Amino acid sequence: MDTSAVPAAQRPTIHTAVRATAPSDADVEPRQALRPKLSIRSLNFYYGGFQAIKNVTMDIPERKVTAFIGPSGCGKSTLLRTFNRMYALYPEQRAEGEILMDGENLLTTKRDVSLIRARIGMVFQKPTPFPMSIFDNIAFGVNLFENLGRRDMAERVEWALTRAALWNEVKDKLNQSGQSLSGGQQQRLCIARCIAIKPDVLLLDEPCSALDPISTAKVEELIHELKTDYTVVIVTHNMQQAARVSDFTAYMYLGEMIEYDATDIIFIKPKRQATEDYITGRFG
Amino acid sequence: MPMGATEHISKQFETDLDTTRTRVLQMGGLVEAQILAAIQGFTSGDAAVIAQVIDNDARVNGYEVAIDGACNHIVVKRQPAASDLRLIMAISKIVTDLERMGDEAKKIARMAKRIHEHGGQHVQRFPAIRHASQIAVKMLRQALDAFARLDAASAAEVMKEDSEIDSEFKSVLRQLITYMMEDPRTITAALETVWVAKAVERIGDHAKNISEQVIYIVKGTDVRHTSFADIEKELSRE
Amino acid sequence: MNPVDASNPLYRSRRRLNFFLLTVSGAALLFGLFWLTWILGNLLYEGGNALARATLYYQMTPPPGGDGGLANAIVGSLIMVTAGTLIGTPIGILAGTYLAEYGRGGWLANATRFLNDVLLSAPSIVIGLFVYSVYVAQVGHFSAWAGSIALGLLVIPVVVRTTDDMLKLVPDSLREAAMALGCPMWRMVMFITYRAARTGILTGILLAVARISGETAPLLFTALNNQFWSMDMNAPMANLPVVIFQFAMSPYEDWRRLAWGGAALITIAVLLLNILARALFRKSQ
Repeated sequence: MDTSAVPAAQRPTIHTAVRATAPSDADVEPRQALRPKLSIRSLNFYYGGFQAIKNVTMDIPERKVTAFIGPSGCGKSTLLRTFNRMYALYPEQRAEGEILMDGENLLTTKRDVSLIRARIGMVFQKPTPFPMSIFDNIAFGVNLFENLGRRDMAERVEWALTRAALWNEVKDKLNQSGQSLSGGQQQRLCIARCIAIKPDVLLLDEPCSALDPISTAKVEELIHELKTDYTVVIVTHNMQQAARVSDFTAYMYLGEMIEYDATDIIFIKPKRQATEDYITGRFG
Repeated sequence: MPMGATEHISKQFETDLDTTRTRVLQMGGLVEAQILAAIQGFTSGDAAVIAQVIDNDARVNGYEVAIDGACNHIVVKRQPAASDLRLIMAISKIVTDLERMGDEAKKIARMAKRIHEHGGQHVQRFPAIRHASQIAVKMLRQALDAFARLDAASAAEVMKEDSEIDSEFKSVLRQLITYMMEDPRTITAALETVWVAKAVERIGDHAKNISEQVIYIVKGTDVRHTSFADIEKELSRE
Repeated sequence: MNPVDASNPLYRSRRRLNFFLLTVSGAALLFGLFWLTWILGNLLYEGGNALARATLYYQMTPPPGGDGGLANAIVGSLIMVTAGTLIGTPIGILAGTYLAEYGRGGWLANATRFLNDVLLSAPSIVIGLFVYSVYVAQVGHFSAWAGSIALGLLVIPVVVRTTDDMLKLVPDSLREAAMALGCPMWRMVMFITYRAARTGILTGILLAVARISGETAPLLFTALNNQFWSMDMNAPMANLPVVIFQFAMSPYEDWRRLAWGGAALITIAVLLLNILARALFRKSQ
């Protein structure tokens, strides 16, 4: 595959994405609705001496689902983990550049990183229920920033579980351990835990890779629902999933953003040969 | 081998696509032969040729069903995307056009049979129809060729030729009207000849549709119901 | 011919080797078990009589030739083991938490982990001598406090090690999930990783208790012994291991019988603690 032909600093913007000829959801909506929620500018990321992300610049639109696809090790998960500064937990990892959310550079802000993470929720590849009851799993995050009374908390827990399409399955066993749930339920519990603290952005790092098809369908349906209130960014290995759930798709390879456009364009007529090869399974 | 520089990782997928593409070309070849034979039957009145065309239509239909099945199979199994998706979508439309062309050929053969049975001596042999049918067959051949080579420029030329057939059809119609006004006894035969001319004109339309699909495969733009000037602009954009 | 066949020489020689090694390791197992059951059997046989006598549990250690029990030693041991555990456990858990959660591959954590391993395998008499020289020698008398400190020092490395290991078993994904909610680190450790590792840590504490309840050497130089009932932590205190040590080597028949009884008592207590630890750990798996 010829990646040398791809300029290092490719700047696909939402503007070009909307000018697409293929019809898409994005076309029907007024353009001003596509305010960028996260603006990534010349982002570089290093694991020690290894550069995992190379000069990525992109805008992630508000209240849309943006998917990152690409082969293993292309940097898509790494990119996701820069948005909530998850990498800061590991001293050998560092990021350069800008990630702007509402005008604030998340990489250099003086504000406590906890405050940023509370506004940018994240769901991981494997379900990670905390070793406590279903109720407490949700209440844990809420308690971090809010002092709710018993009844308010119960309401919030119900709201979050309902939103995550889990309420009906667990309402009679809120005191049971979160770890007693099935894999798909655990993942929805994690999503509920995330939205319970009402973040602006939801980062999903391969949320369905450990789930069966039925649970996957439920989570995908949920993503579609959540789009009305949240900006969703999803990393997935499953190209069909990206095609199903996202409005915009970014293809990454070897740490570079190869192409970023409306999902219909990426999957029907991508502009770059490299994207075409990956999408059609000619990658080798 | 479509546009991709490399082959699919899945050899089976590659084989499935290749086989389907080859079958479309085979079907196209059969339809072309049918049209040529039908026109020959129309001009010569050879009953054996006419009967052969009518019989062969079942084979054309068989191709359509088989290729559509293969497309469904690929969609279900591979969830094709990008150029593969466009190829499959286009093939499924192209076979419909080819099948309709087959129907038109059969229609010409039926008309030829009827005209012949009325008494061959009254049949007006119109060089204009033969000319139009030659253009139609040439368009079909070029459209299939463009499909085989995924050549958008060649496909665009086919679309230009369609207007030529349309004007041929109009001139045939004018001539026939003149005949009918001069000698009302020719009206039955003339009307049947109109049907033949119309069938040829339809064949040209279908060839044009196939070319549009080829442009869609290559460029990813839907050029149906688009003016030719716009299509050329689209093709020059890279 | 298909090489997968019972007559294949490679297969036959592998079977013979397997049979040979199985026999040897089985014999080694029996050899080990033989001594173990002998020790346990002998202990219960000799100590059984003493254990069955109620006086063992409420009378004081007697003078030579007199009738008596081990009440002061049992209570003394319980007090000092409890105090030692209370001293060692918090330090051990906090240090283990530093190693697993905060230090994380830093040089300080690595050095501490290495030193802790050294301490873990240090002979307990060294600990006893150390407490003797820095505490007993300074204040000028043996005391229960000195014994408790010595036992506490033995608890620390065990608890550090198990806490470290158990916290490391908690998957990082759980930590990341908590941090991703905007949870501060201390809260994540308190409410998530401790909770996830709690049975493991508890098991480690129980094992540490089991270890110190049989220790003689560190008490010999610190708490010494006391023939009488004493609850004064600032004075020498009776305890089972030292009583056993003294009585077992005496020429008096009834002292030796009491020593057997004490030994059986400690052994049974340690056995029960181990079983409890295992049961707890299994439940958490």
